[in-house]
Amino acid sequence: MTAPFLQIDGIRKVYGPVVATDRVDLTIAEGEFMTFLGPSGSGKSTTLYILAGFQDPTAGDIRLRGQSILRTPSHKRNIGMVFQRYTLFPHLSVGENVAFPLRVRRMGQSEIATKVKRALSLVRLDGFEDRMPAKMSGGQQQRVALARALVYDPPVLLMDEPLSALDKKLREEIQHEIRRIHQETGVTILYVTHDQEEALRLSDRIAIFNHGRIEQVGTGPQLYADPATHFVADFIGDSAFLPGRLESVAGDRAALRFADGTLAAAVPLHGQGQVGQTAELMLRPERIELSPEAGPEGASLPVTVEDMTFLGNNTTVTVRTGWGGVLTVRLNFGHPLTGRLARGDRLHIRWSPDAAHAFGRG
Amino acid sequence: MLLDFDKLGAWKWVLSAICAVMALFLLLPILFIVALSFGSSRWLIFPPPGWTLKWYEDLFADPRWIGAALTSAKIGVIVMVLSVALGLLASLALVRGTFRGRAVLRAFFLTPMILPVIIVAVALYAAFLRLGLNGTLPGFVIAHLIVALPFAIITISGALETFDPAIEDAAILCGASPWEARFRVTLPGIRHGLFSAAIFSFLISWDEVVLAIFMASPSLQTLPVKVWTTLRQDLTPVIAAASTLLVALTVLLMLVAAVFRKGKSE
Repeated sequence: MTAPFLQIDGIRKVYGPVVATDRVDLTIAEGEFMTFLGPSGSGKSTTLYILAGFQDPTAGDIRLRGQSILRTPSHKRNIGMVFQRYTLFPHLSVGENVAFPLRVRRMGQSEIATKVKRALSLVRLDGFEDRMPAKMSGGQQQRVALARALVYDPPVLLMDEPLSALDKKLREEIQHEIRRIHQETGVTILYVTHDQEEALRLSDRIAIFNHGRIEQVGTGPQLYADPATHFVADFIGDSAFLPGRLESVAGDRAALRFADGTLAAAVPLHGQGQVGQTAELMLRPERIELSPEAGPEGASLPVTVEDMTFLGNNTTVTVRTGWGGVLTVRLNFGHPLTGRLARGDRLHIRWSPDAAHAFGRG
Repeated sequence: MLLDFDKLGAWKWVLSAICAVMALFLLLPILFIVALSFGSSRWLIFPPPGWTLKWYEDLFADPRWIGAALTSAKIGVIVMVLSVALGLLASLALVRGTFRGRAVLRAFFLTPMILPVIIVAVALYAAFLRLGLNGTLPGFVIAHLIVALPFAIITISGALETFDPAIEDAAILCGASPWEARFRVTLPGIRHGLFSAAIFSFLISWDEVVLAIFMASPSLQTLPVKVWTTLRQDLTPVIAAASTLLVALTVLLMLVAAVFRKGKSE
């Protein structure tokens, strides 16, 4: 069997008493767009900086095509990186910025000119060679940074929240560009962000980081449909969590009883859970059906309408359960109940057991 | 804004008047000297009875004045180069280093700024007597370097603090070794700070008089020392002419520094 393209193997980084990353394991295929998603301080940037060689791990190894890269100093790793902050060299023109990696590699003048032109064309900045970085917008500067990081054809491109300083519209525009560039060049990208929408839009696969560990790795739809932990369920997409007590556990399915006595039956159970312990039922707002009639026993709950917000393509309805829990339901425009609800209406929410997930404590 | 100058009413004129008086207070003595250097009176009478360039002719005809000016320039340039070089290395350590005791070390580097110069002068004189450095060029350079270095460190550290280390990191990932990144990216990035440090270091040496009096020998003295010793022997308008030239060079360099700063902010 051939070695995986990039393998992060048990990376652990400790600063004094602080554990930044704790056994991070991940295998990345050549050409893959992998995003590290997680809240700040979850270890995603630390992992990226260890890959870049700016920090040494306390334990673990990183192998590129089977070879450990940890002993190679940063400047010899041949890795590209786009930073969160603007890092163009302020005294050099755009062309000279992009040429810099080639000049330090002592490449010939004509080859440099060709490659710089091609790299600038890749990021759609043809003809900007003589512009100075200070005279460019933030979005343009990050595109130049991208050209500079790709001009020497690195096997891996690291991106550390490169769009966090830009406004929303520009961010979406450049996300689109990054996807196109990934498809055109086929470069393997490791992308760090705390923005789940950005992660879903860009990535082939997403690694969800929390407290220095990877909670789950998967494609966007996998993570959304089948979150392995409470944290992942909470972090990806909106969800409602209803606390209850485990009534029965059979294999990977469980039944929960809520405080008002209703039962949620045959729900996939994640994490540890024993009968009698508390657990939470997770429901996605768009997978919940709101109806005047109760559903089948074990997949339905009586609720009272609390508030409605019309948002164009959908109406978000806030409902209260019998024991006072609050959750939101989304009604697509055209749903028979749209416009016919009033505060205080007594209705039922219904769900398919496969659309719900139970998370035990721990 | 809380204190808007345009909305102060009558106070505006009071403040302007205070500013004008302050400016005159600071500038008048210098303008006075400049006027005297062109005055025809042998006895520095003000206002001058007539105008002449005689004192400048005397100044340029006297090899002792020219020698002192050249000595000053030579020491100033050497101090400038060493001060920027050492200031840069010290700043790199103080700003980018992560070792313990950086704050203490920084304070230590800046002590010559607050220590009375006369104390430094006496201490150096005593030490240099043993080393045989009094009255020598290296003695002058070391003495002036001690007072110039804090200014270089402050200026270069300031420039380095505003230069994002991530830019250096980017250069390293681009394939430049850490030292190559510093030379090709960080140094040009803080060149305004280096330039200011150079000008200030030169100027500090150029018009320094206390240390120079202690270091001077009959054969080796700087322009301020020559002004001082001439002043004690006889009161000639040549001193005013020499002083005017000292001031002129200082003003010129300050202007260059100001132009440079303006270029940076654009």
